[in-house]
Amino acid sequence: MLVLSRRAGESVVVGDDVTITILEVRGDVVRVGIDAPRSVAVHRAELLEALESSNRDAASPSEQAVASLAEALRNRPE
Amino acid sequence: MPDIPVIELVQPLPGFPDLRQFALVQLDSLGGSDDGSSAGSGDGSSDGGVLCALRSLEDPDLRFLVLPPSAFFPDYAPVIDDATVAELEISSADDVLVLVVLNAGDSLGSTTANLVAPVLVNTVTRKACQVILDDPALSISTPLLG
Repeated sequence: MLVLSRRAGESVVVGDDVTITILEVRGDVVRVGIDAPRSVAVHRAELLEALESSNRDAASPSEQAVASLAEALRNRPE
Repeated sequence: MPDIPVIELVQPLPGFPDLRQFALVQLDSLGGSDDGSSAGSGDGSSDGGVLCALRSLEDPDLRFLVLPPSAFFPDYAPVIDDATVAELEISSADDVLVLVVLNAGDSLGSTTANLVAPVLVNTVTRKACQVILDDPALSISTPLLG
């Protein structure tokens, strides 16, 4: 991993079209601005990890769970 | 809601990087004729069906339970960014089917929906993706029965 020291207001350029700017450092919180083309997805890592984990948990529920859910939805009062 | 035999994910589902092709199959519209529903009420009722499976065409054992959120979350209105609109080749909002992924619990009461990352399907081009909404008000495991 490349490690750089930056101050607030300073930037790092990644590739041709991604610029990461340190906007503010306050206590243990660093505000980061990311300039990237719309085609480059930018996500907080923990959100992406939570989504992967949620998708894995959601995958292939048991036949029994599907059947009981389908029935509960059918019988649900509108 | 019509079944869609082949849906092409323009981005893989997070956690399932190798799978791109899915089918959307309604589970509760034909009195439980799809697999797994044999314990259903069997009354053959075809109205009110909302539960669907997003079934992998590349891994037959893999499926996700999904449903359109409107019946459970009437105020849910995800905003789609321009990059996604372009990637899914969306020309009209009417063409977009919004689905939320369910985490089936032991009962309806413990079943949750992922409102952070809905699956959007362009029903015309049959391209789809799971978008991530950066809205702190949304939860990845929202009880289906709020």
